[in-house]
Amino acid sequence: MLEVKDVSKMFDERRGVQQIDFTMERGEIVGFLGPNGAGKTTTMRMITGYLNPTGGSITIDGLSMSEHGAKARSKIGYLPETPPLYPEMTVMSYLRFVADLRNVPVREQKKRINEMLDKLGLHGREQQLIRSLSKGFKQRLGLAQAIIHKPDLLVLDEPTSGLDPNQIIEIRQLIRELGEQHTVLLSTHILPEVNMLCNRVLIIHQGQIVLDERPDRLGTAMGQEVSLHLEVKGPTESIIQVVSALPLVTEVQIVGDGFQEACRKEEVDEAPITTMDHTDTGLEGAGQEADLAVQVCVDNYELSTSQPGVLSPQSGETIKLRVVSQDHSDVREALFYALADAGYPLLEMKREMTSLEDVFTRLTTEEDSGDA
Amino acid sequence: MRRFNAIFRKEMHAYFTSPTSYVAFAVYVLISSILFYMNFVMFQPSIIDFRLVSGNATFMYVFVIPLLTMRLFSDEFRQGTDELLLTSPARMTEIVLGKYAAALVLMVVLVGFTLIYPIVMSFYGTLDMKMMITSIIGMLLLTAAMAAVGLFASTLSQHQMVTAIASFVMLLTFWTMLDWAASSSGTLGEWLMPFAMNTRLDSFMKGVLNGADVLFFITLTAVFVVLSIQVLERKRWR
Repeated sequence: MLEVKDVSKMFDERRGVQQIDFTMERGEIVGFLGPNGAGKTTTMRMITGYLNPTGGSITIDGLSMSEHGAKARSKIGYLPETPPLYPEMTVMSYLRFVADLRNVPVREQKKRINEMLDKLGLHGREQQLIRSLSKGFKQRLGLAQAIIHKPDLLVLDEPTSGLDPNQIIEIRQLIRELGEQHTVLLSTHILPEVNMLCNRVLIIHQGQIVLDERPDRLGTAMGQEVSLHLEVKGPTESIIQVVSALPLVTEVQIVGDGFQEACRKEEVDEAPITTMDHTDTGLEGAGQEADLAVQVCVDNYELSTSQPGVLSPQSGETIKLRVVSQDHSDVREALFYALADAGYPLLEMKREMTSLEDVFTRLTTEEDSGDA
Repeated sequence: MRRFNAIFRKEMHAYFTSPTSYVAFAVYVLISSILFYMNFVMFQPSIIDFRLVSGNATFMYVFVIPLLTMRLFSDEFRQGTDELLLTSPARMTEIVLGKYAAALVLMVVLVGFTLIYPIVMSFYGTLDMKMMITSIIGMLLLTAAMAAVGLFASTLSQHQMVTAIASFVMLLTFWTMLDWAASSSGTLGEWLMPFAMNTRLDSFMKGVLNGADVLFFITLTAVFVVLSIQVLERKRWR
């Protein structure tokens, strides 16, 4: 469908985009993320033929952008960051103009324009001047402009920016519908939007693609652990013993009520007060690497509220734990049986997915310091 | 062709809904009629000759045409609508020619306004019709070339003022070429002379249809239209 091969763009002095390489299949909705100035808009502009790449090639449905520009462009619908509207035109005359411009056959134009008015809720505003439309309607008209010719590939540059929450929901719904017939590439700053809409995420940073993955598999891609939140009834110490004895568990942490403090290895050394217990339980026996130290820590909150030295609460009380497993492995089942065997009822278990925010921040800030 | 038409219609619509073109026409009509009043009514010439007013009128084109052409591409850049045009299946030639055609219609209107004066004159004596016709052809060719210069200037900047000043400077250069040629002695003068727009126009005003002069204006037009296409095509490589 879309093939972007080794595409680079050099601006006068600085490098805009360097050797971007990806393909998109029909029916995909791809979210394009990156901090401001990373090269998102530049990449989109090259795909739509607004800019020519300095190197590399872009092919749409087998048509090369550089050789069959006009033909390739007719397969694309593009909504730039600011919708390209003429303020002195009416909605109707604008749509007619775009239909002509985008080769919509004259016979079909009326039908197609009506379809657009329906789909985007622009009915009753046909004769209104674009100048007087609200931002939301301008955005919708911009979208109408991009899809009026039923393009194979739809490129949307921040389609929901500047809209109110209701309009955002409407536009997202629309994009989801469009995704059924068209291939969609959309850029956005709203990360949850990507989880909601896209079946693939591309993160671009400093002109290079740093991630290409499905949104639900981000954790794996990042080599990140999965953490579980447990609520167990029973004495704290013995529960921790049971949980940390499981082979794949690398970290157990007590979580206070709505109060949580990260307790990784390095932090443990710096904050000795919070460290209550260091156990290197049966990991070697389970054939695991010895350096997978299991740390158990209780935060300050827990300490200050409970009596010093008394870790195990009265029976009948529950504790909340955060459990991290190694290699993205699923320890839920093992946890369940282990706790059940020990006779501690498991009241709640929740898996915490690696959030896109985490991945995004990590990918786009780490490399900054690395380059500097 | 349909895309050319679409752009042409859109431009015409923009011209007739924007105040700038009305103001430009109004200023032109105002000043040229004041000049007509001074040259014809106050001066009371003994002969009826279109040249009494055409010289002033054509010089005014140097100021008016930049105002009429400045928005052609500058506006697109400013509104970001060039992204729509350049990513549409329309070829650059279609876009540029569509816009230029709309500017040409305006030039015809502009020359039309100038014809008010010979009509007024004809009440007080007989006009040389052949001379009138060649004059009109000459003025149309002149304005067409000037519009092409304005079109080219509008591809250079997103600011209408910058565009207007750029095309004004270019047109004035062509207009004052004659004076430069006269003041510079020898071969340089000979080189500059053929590019003076007003000397080229003189033959039309005298009732002479000179092939070289016709070709001069057509070539000038073509050169600037092609230059506009090239500048826009280059923007993709920015």
